[in-house]
Amino acid sequence: MTEPGVEEDNDLVFHRICALLAPLNHKGVTLTRDVDLVADLEIDSVSVLDVVMEVEDAYDISIPVNTISEIRTLGELVDAIHAIKKGQG
Amino acid sequence: MSLFDKFEKTAALYNSLSEMGKNPFAVVMEEVLGPTRARIKGRETVLAGTHNYLGQTFEPKAIAAAKRALDEEGTGTTGSRFANGTFAGHKSLERALADYLGLNYCVVFSTGYVANLGAIAGLVDPSEDVVLIDADCHACIYDGCQLSGAETIRFRHNDPESLDKRLQRLDPKFKGKLVCIEGMYSMYGDIAPVKEFVDVAHKHGAYLLVDEAHSFGVYGAKGRGVCEAEGVMDKIDFYSGTFSKALAAIGGFVASNHPEAEYLRFSSRPYKFTASPSPATIASAHAALDNIALTPALKAKLWENARRLHAALTQFGLRLAAPPAPVISVLLPTKEEAFAAWNFLLDRGVYVNMAIPPGTPGKESLLRLAVSSAHSGDDIDRLVGAYGQMAEAFPSARVALAS
Repeated sequence: MTEPGVEEDNDLVFHRICALLAPLNHKGVTLTRDVDLVADLEIDSVSVLDVVMEVEDAYDISIPVNTISEIRTLGELVDAIHAIKKGQG
Repeated sequence: MSLFDKFEKTAALYNSLSEMGKNPFAVVMEEVLGPTRARIKGRETVLAGTHNYLGQTFEPKAIAAAKRALDEEGTGTTGSRFANGTFAGHKSLERALADYLGLNYCVVFSTGYVANLGAIAGLVDPSEDVVLIDADCHACIYDGCQLSGAETIRFRHNDPESLDKRLQRLDPKFKGKLVCIEGMYSMYGDIAPVKEFVDVAHKHGAYLLVDEAHSFGVYGAKGRGVCEAEGVMDKIDFYSGTFSKALAAIGGFVASNHPEAEYLRFSSRPYKFTASPSPATIASAHAALDNIALTPALKAKLWENARRLHAALTQFGLRLAAPPAPVISVLLPTKEEAFAAWNFLLDRGVYVNMAIPPGTPGKESLLRLAVSSAHSGDDIDRLVGAYGQMAEAFPSARVALAS
């Protein structure tokens, strides 16, 4: 089952991020791993940090600001969460 | 051309502000008429958007001290604190600040921004330390983290539990942990639960730095800040502040009971590689410090004005960001309305600050009123009058009433 507007992807993290981003996706952009958070979704850098805070609490991980500033796409955010979960878990 | 492409969107917004009315980011004080009055666009205006909390900009003793320093020591130091820019005045101001705060050590920097930059980058080593910062910390704390190169983790604003969780799950590889918060946050005028932060930080063996830029001179029985009001002056590790608000000059400082704070004098690049404050600046800051220490009535008057304004704005039904404080912010739903309301006030001879996302917490747009002890009864009447008209003209600035 895939929600409308979300590209099929069997990754649970990906789906959870999509749910967190939904309220900020004002233009109704189809969410794929290649979507650029700032350029495509037009989310400002501070909002990205706030979404990340939600992600941190959802997964009980800490994502350093230094890492976030290098993340451009939804896929990169998902990959970073996987990497940190592995390291901190 | 590609160097400038990235500015296009912001430039369009900036220019459109000037076309729609007056640009809040390009206000010029054409003539300064006193601590709370200036001429803006040819009109005498009440200043409620400066941080002259204790009205010291025209304090006669501070002006006399600055003139004397100019005559006796010249216009500038032409050097950095580290090399050739430390005069007797810099050292005696450091001593006076330490005494005022009841802390043992104090290091003076060239601005408040530079003090936080210098404290963070001077204290942490990117190869082994980590910094944890409140999400709503000022840009200079973010920039200090960036300059340090250390791993930086944000926790939820004013939420000690959120900090606790992040300290709990830190990689044990980190040796030093520095937590940064502020006393009073300048956008909303809200206060940090410093005591709880002290407990959480120390439980995890972390050091706590509190930036009291907006609360120095203003909170606590002796004006030492929110740390004093919370009874934890002797529990925090580092205290940073500025001369550009309650002391009405320019410069900054870091104070501490750790003797190692003195190491900032060689470990901190923002201390070593920028010119030190001029003799006149140091002299006026010192005289203002002496004056506020001897005149508790200034702080009392500031709070009287703040409470009166907060009560009046509450009466108008305006949506306020925090309980009474020297900063009183009205929240508006959009930046367009904030801009229109800001212009509305300026047209009525009242200057406040407009703040819009992304520079504000929680995506809010707001009008920030900064109170001064020097606001006269007439100033307050004008402020209240203009805000009352604004509340009528902008229903969206008011708290929604249950129908």
